Amino acid sequence: MSASVLRVSDLAVGLHLPGREPRMLLDNVSLDLGKGEVLGLVGESGSGKSLFCRALVRLLPSENIRITEGRIMLGDRDLAKATEAEMLGVRGGRVGMIFQNPTSHLDPVMTIGDQLIEGIRYHQKLDGGAARREALAIARQVGFTEPERQLDSYAHEFSGGMRQRAMIGVALSCNPEILVADEPTTALDVTIQAQILQLLLDIRSERGLSIILITHDLGIVAQTCDRIAVMREGRIVEQGKKRDLLRSPAHSYTKALIGSHPSMPISAGEMTATPPSKAAATDKPLLEVEEVNVRFAGAGNLFGGRSGAVHAVADVSLKIMPGETVGIVGESGSGKSTLARAVLGLTPIASGNVTFDGTSLRHDRVAFLTRLRREAAMVFQDPYNALNPRLAIGQMLAEVLKVQARTPPDQIPTRVCELLDLVDLGHEFAGRRPRSMSGGQCQRAGIARALAVEPRLIIADESTAALDVTIQAQILDLFRVLKRKMNLTLLFIAHDLAIVRNLCDRVVVMRGGHIVEQGGSAQVFEHPADPYTQALIRAIPDIDPDKPLLPQAAREIA
Amino acid sequence: MSVRALAVGRMGWRWRLGRQPALVIGATILTVFVVAALLAPYISPYDPIAQDIEFRLQNPSWAHPFGTDNFGRDVFSRVIWGARIDLQIALLGVIFPFVIGTLVGTVAGFFGGIVDALLMRLIDVILAFPFLVLVLSIIAILGPGLGSFYIAMALVGWVSYARLIRAHVLVLKNSDYAIAAVSLGFSRSRIMFRHLLPNAIAGSVVFSMSDAVLVLLNGAAISYLGLGVQPPIAEWGIMVAEGQPFITTAWWITLFPGLSIVMLAFGFSLFGDALGDALGVKE
Repeated sequence: MSASVLRVSDLAVGLHLPGREPRMLLDNVSLDLGKGEVLGLVGESGSGKSLFCRALVRLLPSENIRITEGRIMLGDRDLAKATEAEMLGVRGGRVGMIFQNPTSHLDPVMTIGDQLIEGIRYHQKLDGGAARREALAIARQVGFTEPERQLDSYAHEFSGGMRQRAMIGVALSCNPEILVADEPTTALDVTIQAQILQLLLDIRSERGLSIILITHDLGIVAQTCDRIAVMREGRIVEQGKKRDLLRSPAHSYTKALIGSHPSMPISAGEMTATPPSKAAATDKPLLEVEEVNVRFAGAGNLFGGRSGAVHAVADVSLKIMPGETVGIVGESGSGKSTLARAVLGLTPIASGNVTFDGTSLRHDRVAFLTRLRREAAMVFQDPYNALNPRLAIGQMLAEVLKVQARTPPDQIPTRVCELLDLVDLGHEFAGRRPRSMSGGQCQRAGIARALAVEPRLIIADESTAALDVTIQAQILDLFRVLKRKMNLTLLFIAHDLAIVRNLCDRVVVMRGGHIVEQGGSAQVFEHPADPYTQALIRAIPDIDPDKPLLPQAAREIA
Repeated sequence: MSVRALAVGRMGWRWRLGRQPALVIGATILTVFVVAALLAPYISPYDPIAQDIEFRLQNPSWAHPFGTDNFGRDVFSRVIWGARIDLQIALLGVIFPFVIGTLVGTVAGFFGGIVDALLMRLIDVILAFPFLVLVLSIIAILGPGLGSFYIAMALVGWVSYARLIRAHVLVLKNSDYAIAAVSLGFSRSRIMFRHLLPNAIAGSVVFSMSDAVLVLLNGAAISYLGLGVQPPIAEWGIMVAEGQPFITTAWWITLFPGLSIVMLAFGFSLFGDALGDALGVKE
């Protein structure tokens, strides 16, 4: 790549609260971005990667956060010292930004076309007709299939992937030299993610854009970037060419990040620790799902007619043996979470039957539910939403123990401590509330609550999706350990195939409410039979840059 | 806790109060009225209902700071004693609707379906009538008096609380912790009252403060119309009504009880705002 377009040297950003010592949020950050280069900025939440990007365009979140040192050279202009008026031309015009959540960054009361035209008129000074033509060209470039019609649509009429395309279009409408993409695909399904990443690369080669791609997923970086910078606690701990850095990371944190990436094969020790379904053939299944259907009624109209009923789960049959770990994968809307809730009796089923260890939902609903409530538990996706914000962790656990009434009242405090030990939380967490805890700690508390039931079956619904990679790896380890210690049966629902591959003995792939494929993990991942499964697997960004993200995988499904 | 930590804690407390003038002023006003009401027998200079025809319609003076009314009663003493009645009106006029509305709203939101539909239609019916008309008709049926007023407020006022709580419960019952509670075999009443209600109630607590203002004004209005507190008991609404014929010659009879109503309402309002900030309620 040729000369650098952006040169950041010794950038420091500090939080200056009146009457307190300033706290450094970014320290000594130096980066170069070449023309047409894609730079991956990797780090976990709180590492300062988003703040860095906001500092580039001087949109810092608070007046108390200021650039204290360093230079941001864009061409021959130092943005750290530019006036606010100069910055107006830079923002959008020279540095464009796209964000994780397009819904909140697109104007809901403006058509997509108007939002594109606004940028074109302001930054490129074109008049109405020319701007409209340019907007159409951009819409085509970002992959709108019917640009004429879609330009007159509003953001809410689009799917998540289309919205992200629209936001990229809005950024392009200002014709920037640099595009800063802050976790642009985190909220998207893998196949859509592959499409969006491919789109960014296409735009790069068509327009000669330089891109800073912020992400927590090393797989994405490995697939798309030329160079990688790893951030931690406001510093860049390591940067270098993608292949060099991935092959021989120098810093211990980079090594940990690479090691915890779910596409890395797990070590042999862990493999043997969970022998795949040891007694599957002899035992009868712990959980048996027979031709279950779940339908949600559509919105009724004024005359009572119901239209657009959703068939969320269609004729799903599934057997889970005691001690087995089964993963259910699928994209959003595939019905995997609905299936989990139906199995637990939390969502009524339209037809079919669920049998838990010989007790049938069909034959004796009350007995079935009673057994489930005492022998099965659920772990949720959003660790904060899953815990009652008004209860301390100890109170929460004690309540479960009290209601389940298997622990004598005087033993409850001891048992609470045992549960905290099981999930590696210190006893002081008994007195803490979710608000004062990190996401990973909340998730551990959520698992402790599930364990309080002394369950035989745990259903984990996207339980690691909201966590950082290293925390994710810790929680997965915890699941492995608990499974071994307590002989749990685990039904693990995820959209992240790599996680399922590492954790589960058996995989069930769902799409549109149907099971499209099921079988042993190794078999499904290495020799997927169904075309959808094949495409899904190929869309996983692998940490090995030589296993390319196949764009046709994404296109096949689109 | 070490001495140092204590000192820091206290500084933090003062600092926070200093940042919330609304809370300080509101709480001060409410405290003044509550103290006045509690200590009425000791701090009021005269008997509030003792008539003294010789000294009727006296200007405010050192002997009678707020003057005297047309029966020669000391307005200052009557305002202090009136605080007892008016605080009671604000308190009881809010508590009954609050409790009823909270229960109904929680049940309606939690169970949904036909229960919810029936309760919501009942609320629509009540809301279809102008508030005061409904209150006045109920009092007219039951006969004048404070008891009737409280019953009328309870029967009519709960609807706002029910709708507020229901909306929160509807959202919260789909939260993961509510679903977790179901999956752990918790009983319905435990989920409703231990898990949903405490998280849903903050908005209603704040609303109850502004509602207290309305109840207070309504109570005063009802008394003014002769349907609430009966003479000669000292109550600000009646005092305003009784002073009305003399407004051009003896303004103090109406001014001071009127000001008291405004001040107390102001206190509730400020305190409610501050409470909303403290509980993190966004309106």
